[in-house]
Amino acid sequence: MLRTIFCTASRSNVIMTKARTRAASTLVSRRFIMAMNSNTQSIMRPMAVSMRFYSADTAAPKLNKDEVTRRVVDVIKAFSKGSTNPTVAGTTDVNADTLFHKDLGLDSLDTVELLVAVEEEFDIEIPDKVADELKSVGETIDYIVSNADAN
Amino acid sequence: MTAAIAPTRRQVLSLYKQFIKNANQFNNFNFREYFLRKSRASFKQNSTIQDAEKLSKLYQDAKNDLSALKRQSVISQMYTFDKLVVEPVDKEERKDINKH
Repeated sequence: MLRTIFCTASRSNVIMTKARTRAASTLVSRRFIMAMNSNTQSIMRPMAVSMRFYSADTAAPKLNKDEVTRRVVDVIKAFSKGSTNPTVAGTTDVNADTLFHKDLGLDSLDTVELLVAVEEEFDIEIPDKVADELKSVGETIDYIVSNADAN
Repeated sequence: MTAAIAPTRRQVLSLYKQFIKNANQFNNFNFREYFLRKSRASFKQNSTIQDAEKLSKLYQDAKNDLSALKRQSVISQMYTFDKLVVEPVDKEERKDINKH
């Protein structure tokens, strides 16, 4: 009885080593070896295969404009509140027509900083080329709405 | 030796953006605020300089500083720091505090 177990064990070992040498590092054969290992030795667990689905219905819903507007305005208000510049800190009402330079009194450096805050809020990266063109709150909102990565 | 070429407006703004972004990453409140303050102040201070040679030197120096800043902010993220009393608490955390 004991000998037969021994025999089968050693035989399966031989098969495995053969399979291993034959396996030309392709993924399928490697999986096969894994499966065999898990059967014979039960030390290794079967490989967990993670899957990602890229279908349309799993994609995040697109942000609507009102939501974006509200959040951008919130970011700007928080930003101007924390600013040391008195003209920036004094701004009270912000809407889509507000211009960064004229109405908020931001210079180019402040604008960059504000856009970094916006980037963090929406978890996006605004390329320098685009960031240069953004001069008003409305333009920024339009860009975020058009950006599929924004959330 | 060739004449120094002044960095373009977009290059400087891009560098500033990287300074702000990396400074924001510091976990420690004091370090974060210090680097934000310092970056803002030094860029503002030098914003009126016109001399090409001076500008290119400043640009190079700032690039070196940025690499140090990047290193340090990564290191800062390896450690956890207790929040200071002056730091604003997140909305969720505040709820928790009110509960207890």
